[in-house]
Amino acid sequence: MSATSVPVIETSGLTKTFKGVQALKPLDLRVSQNSICGFLGPNGAGKTTTIKLLLGLSRPTGGNALVFGKDIQHESDEIRRRIGYLSQDPRYYEYMTARETLRFTAKFFYAGPRAEIERRVAETLDLVGLTDKADRPIKGFSGGERQRLGIAQAQVNYPDLLILDEPAASLDPIGRRDVLEVLCKLRKYCTVFYSTHILDDVQRVSDTVVILNKGTLVTQGPIEELLSSRQGTAFTLTLKGDYAAAETRLRSQPWVTGMQVMSKNGRVSWQIRVSDPDLAEARLVPLALAGGDVTVCEFGRKAQNLEDVFLSIVEEDNHER
Amino acid sequence: MSASASLLVPSRSRGWRTGLGNLLSKELAGWWRTRRWWVQCLVALLLLNGIMALNMKGSDPSNAGLNFLISAGLSAPIAAMVLASDSIFGERHSGTAAWVLSKPMRRQAFILSKVVAHGLGMLVTWVVIPGVLAYIQLKPGIGNGLSAVGFLGAFGLIFLNLFFYLTLAFMLATLFNGRGAVLGIAILVDFTGLMQFIALPVQKYIPWVNDIMPWKLTIDFANNGPLAGRLAVGAPLPTVVPIIATAAWCVLFVGVAIWRFRREEF
Repeated sequence: MSATSVPVIETSGLTKTFKGVQALKPLDLRVSQNSICGFLGPNGAGKTTTIKLLLGLSRPTGGNALVFGKDIQHESDEIRRRIGYLSQDPRYYEYMTARETLRFTAKFFYAGPRAEIERRVAETLDLVGLTDKADRPIKGFSGGERQRLGIAQAQVNYPDLLILDEPAASLDPIGRRDVLEVLCKLRKYCTVFYSTHILDDVQRVSDTVVILNKGTLVTQGPIEELLSSRQGTAFTLTLKGDYAAAETRLRSQPWVTGMQVMSKNGRVSWQIRVSDPDLAEARLVPLALAGGDVTVCEFGRKAQNLEDVFLSIVEEDNHER
Repeated sequence: MSASASLLVPSRSRGWRTGLGNLLSKELAGWWRTRRWWVQCLVALLLLNGIMALNMKGSDPSNAGLNFLISAGLSAPIAAMVLASDSIFGERHSGTAAWVLSKPMRRQAFILSKVVAHGLGMLVTWVVIPGVLAYIQLKPGIGNGLSAVGFLGAFGLIFLNLFFYLTLAFMLATLFNGRGAVLGIAILVDFTGLMQFIALPVQKYIPWVNDIMPWKLTIDFANNGPLAGRLAVGAPLPTVVPIIATAAWCVLFVGVAIWRFRREEF
């Protein structure tokens, strides 16, 4: 099932202030049904605050938000009946086993029959690969096993919306791959809204992204749109020779917004972000060669990935503040 | 979605009962499916019945019975306070409270399940089991002077006294962030009846406070013994005001705890 235009999460001017500090500035967010939405931002951007507001764990200072068209402040119970949530640092009752934890979770949603609840618990344990550890107390679980259990408990109720706060944070590469596979499987049944720092994963599985910086929404939309809108705003220029003067000349151009420098084998490679791609395409090489003391080895537009886009958006946003 | 999803019956509890049954089962399991119940029971038997057995050697059994009430009036509340504060702080600091609150449940249910489960656990381990044993210990010495029905009534007052401190500790645990403040305040209230430098001025200048606090239930040196002691020997009660007032405090404490916990942010 592909993403529809029906919003599952819709916030309007949602704000949160902690002791005079505005953790979340008026946020207008929209997440469509059956999408996998990556929620990105540097540490302290307000991602967890937003998630807690949506779940009713925290109260907004201003604005409002609807989840499934229901108000987060007045219909929180009804919203939580349809949500699965995995926190950033999942904690459970240590004396319980994984099976008991899932049974306890399932009973918030289902009254019975007992056999069906047990079947669902077993099915969920199997999905995250914890069947062989199902009857061991959680206190002996590794970080990865806890995270798997977290994913299991988040979707034991067949949620319509899965909210995951850093789901792959403490997993090894295999665990991460498994989590992504689970997310892809769940796409058919529900909307997934997850925060992460692993941008490679976001690009691999998400349809849309929301980028938050310092409590402000910087951008949101489909990944393809975001990547194509920033396409061509960065160039790669590799030189050999005495490049110090060339670097000074390039940095002084008003349309050059940033330069990343990498040196290797007597060559220097610059990733140059620009505000006017056409002008840059025409002027970068002549400007570099103007002193006559360098040779251009390679020049071209850089293929953008989500990490580049994320970094450039956040840097631009920080620069504008 | 698997076919079994359609066979599962959604939970129908709504309003303040949302999640209550599940949380109560979990809290009760925390008492009866772990070693907690027998550890509490063992401590209670040692502190209450053990000390009473020592007091009975060569002394009047009624005095030993009075000491049992005083011990129950002082030590059972301490156990209740520690358990109640640990229960709230433990969940809040470990993050399990935030996890549970992300499920469909009401915050009232979170507090009520703890109050009911701990109340029941304390009733059995600190009142019923030591109380029955105390009756067996005292009966040969006191004989017909010890009324079985009156003794049951005395159990009720011991429990009411204990429940007062349990609910007080729950309320304080939702109001403060540290165990020190909770235990400090609750223990001060518990021992006020014994501390003459506080009890005497209270008796002299604001005597009505004694009537609205639980002290007269199990510890009352001034007025012909505690109410629980009078019930145990079948004597009439001079007043029921402390009983009604203590019950009212319990309701108030639970109400404040729920009000405060509903405002808590995680």
